[in-house]
Amino acid sequence: MKKLIVIVVVIIVTIVIGYNYIYQDHRNIEKEQPTYRAEAKLLAEEFSATPAASEKKYLNQTIEVSGIITAISDNTITLDKTVYCQFSMNISGLQEHNRIQVKGRFIGYDDLLEEIKLDQCSISN
Amino acid sequence: MMVYWKTKKAFGTVFDIHTKNKIMKYFVYLLFFISASLLSQTKYLTKNGVVGFEASVPSFEEVKASNNAVTAILNADNGEFAALVLVKGFRFKNALMEEHFNENYAESDIYPKATFKGTLKDFDKSRLNSGSKFKITGELMFHGVTKTFDDIDVSLSSKGNEIQMSGKFQTLASDFDIKIPKIVRNKIAETIDVDFNFKLQLK
Repeated sequence: MKKLIVIVVVIIVTIVIGYNYIYQDHRNIEKEQPTYRAEAKLLAEEFSATPAASEKKYLNQTIEVSGIITAISDNTITLDKTVYCQFSMNISGLQEHNRIQVKGRFIGYDDLLEEIKLDQCSISN
Repeated sequence: MMVYWKTKKAFGTVFDIHTKNKIMKYFVYLLFFISASLLSQTKYLTKNGVVGFEASVPSFEEVKASNNAVTAILNADNGEFAALVLVKGFRFKNALMEEHFNENYAESDIYPKATFKGTLKDFDKSRLNSGSKFKITGELMFHGVTKTFDDIDVSLSSKGNEIQMSGKFQTLASDFDIKIPKIVRNKIAETIDVDFNFKLQLK
């Protein structure tokens, strides 16, 4: 009898662990601690100097970027004309020319427009 | 050198200083218009275009992702088109699937970008009423492999300063050197449906 209970418990635990592994949650960038903190202008300089190495360094990392908002559209803002941030939340309260600190995941360097792209952004100040 | 001196002499004798200035002025205007028309290409651009793909097999979990941070540029003078997809920007419903896509299939750490460069055939901006059909031919680079696509159907419609461009095509995972392991082969379709939708704004 005891043996049976142990077996059942082991099976249930395996199923639960397996289920949680297969249906694990997405990364929550908003709650993650940023790996890098940078000023938008300095980040842009780094990327124009060494695009490939910088891309490798920051790829898929959570970065906190501060800068001045130069453009706003539906759910995106551009910092200092070079850092393009895509939000998943409503950002209707933001205004151009304001200083802001944004946390997001770096997804790559857009060499057509020379922009640094972040997604899953959130406002961190 | 001789010609220059001769011309200078001729100008000096035939025209007075006033006419000379006038001619210079027209010449400058002409130069300005020529250079302006050469430089000003009508470009349409988007930074948040959508590219999605699906390789689902019926009755298994859907294998589907979408990227809504695609940069695309259309030159409305000659129909040249370019798009840049950051592979890390593909979002799946299932986080583990997203991880596997990035690590094992697309290898986005090594190949972070996918690009398309092509030309719309017989492109004419004046023909862009609602729902015009065009064909695009170009090269798609993904996972370090370049493949040429011929005559992909594209629908274009223009509204004010915006051109909307959308379409879909099919491709094979093996065309881009992506190997699907045996264990999951019956859960991932070999033929992949790709769709795109760009709302391009006049720049």
